Amino acid sequence: MAHLVQVGVGSGGIAVLDALARDERITRVTLIEPDIYKPHNVYRHLFSPADVGQPKAELARRWLEQLRPALTVEVLQVDLCDPAVQAPIEAAFAQASVGVCAADNELAKFHFDSLARKYGLSWTLGEVLSGGIGGWVHCFRPAGACYGCVASYLQRTMPTDENQPTPDYSAPGGPVYETTIPASRASIAAIASLHALSTLMLLDAAADPGFTSLLFTLARVPGMFEEPFRVHRFRIPRNLDCLICKDHHANRLVDAEKLDVALDEALGRLGDA
Amino acid sequence: MGLLDSEAGRRRLLTVELPVIEQYNKDRDPEYRIVVQKVGTSLVLKYRLKPAHNVYQVETRLLSSYPTVPPETRVITALLHCPHLLEGQMLCLWRQGSSRITSRWDPSRFTCIFAVQAAWRWLACYEVWHSTGEWPLPEAK
Repeated sequence: MAHLVQVGVGSGGIAVLDALARDERITRVTLIEPDIYKPHNVYRHLFSPADVGQPKAELARRWLEQLRPALTVEVLQVDLCDPAVQAPIEAAFAQASVGVCAADNELAKFHFDSLARKYGLSWTLGEVLSGGIGGWVHCFRPAGACYGCVASYLQRTMPTDENQPTPDYSAPGGPVYETTIPASRASIAAIASLHALSTLMLLDAAADPGFTSLLFTLARVPGMFEEPFRVHRFRIPRNLDCLICKDHHANRLVDAEKLDVALDEALGRLGDA
Repeated sequence: MGLLDSEAGRRRLLTVELPVIEQYNKDRDPEYRIVVQKVGTSLVLKYRLKPAHNVYQVETRLLSSYPTVPPETRVITALLHCPHLLEGQMLCLWRQGSSRITSRWDPSRFTCIFAVQAAWRWLACYEVWHSTGEWPLPEAK
């Protein structure tokens, strides 16, 4: 009797969900996904071309209802990070047994992490690398490393310029911004399978997947991956000084009302009014 | 989720960011203290820096997406066009994926005071560049 809360049912998320929903231990699913199914999604998705234009979350609900009619499925067609819809999202996290993050942006990953720590939820994160050359699966336990600890260990950073200019073709040696190349359906399925297996392992509170972060290569990329199908495992410890999670672990929580009052007082001391 | 409109954001401000600003201000000459203002869903830190000969008025903005997204720092005092200066006199301080730890924003380790220190370092480099024409630190890679 497990309740899965999953954020993202894009091409990767739906593949993970499809694998998880076939496990009899999963009896309830809450899906959080704001997007609409678009023509460019069709090539890599499980849904039909005729479904284009419909919300992905509703399509996923229908998929699950056909797959396992007894499964309880709830849909929140909202952005995980939208402040206006946090009440139903938090209610889902509070009741969930395990979480799956299949979001593709850093803000959502950090926010998922924050909610999971708040409600003591074990969760997993899957990421397919650009071009489908490999992918990551990360496993998080409430007392372990948070996403901030992992991102720091792996030297990850947010893009610092979201409005990237057009490359200067007159200067071939000039700066070139990173582009993303869609992964193939096969690459997505490979990483999604690892993601689903890791998630099922977390249903057992005592189980140890043997890694915090796992990198699985799917192609040889000179200078990056020496060969395909190689596994790199990272056991990443919780950073005791991590500014993202140490507040939770140190149990220095202030209740919400006191927090607002204390914050207003602190801002008042530092303001110029 | 915003710095000011989420519990996690407000908690970060109260337990991490504002205490280090108060620590920075402690025993500092009043004209060099950081003043904090709410502007919409952002917080703006206004302060002066004097890395060498000149005093610069600087603003560091903690956007709604801070600390996941690094703070933005701009110099209000007019500068000459120089390396590592972006539109609107915004300082180029962080580079995604940089192998130099101080050039890669890390929300699990850095506070807004790190951004203030980075601005001080940038301005010190600017004064050297102004005198010699050479930026004294290598490019972040």
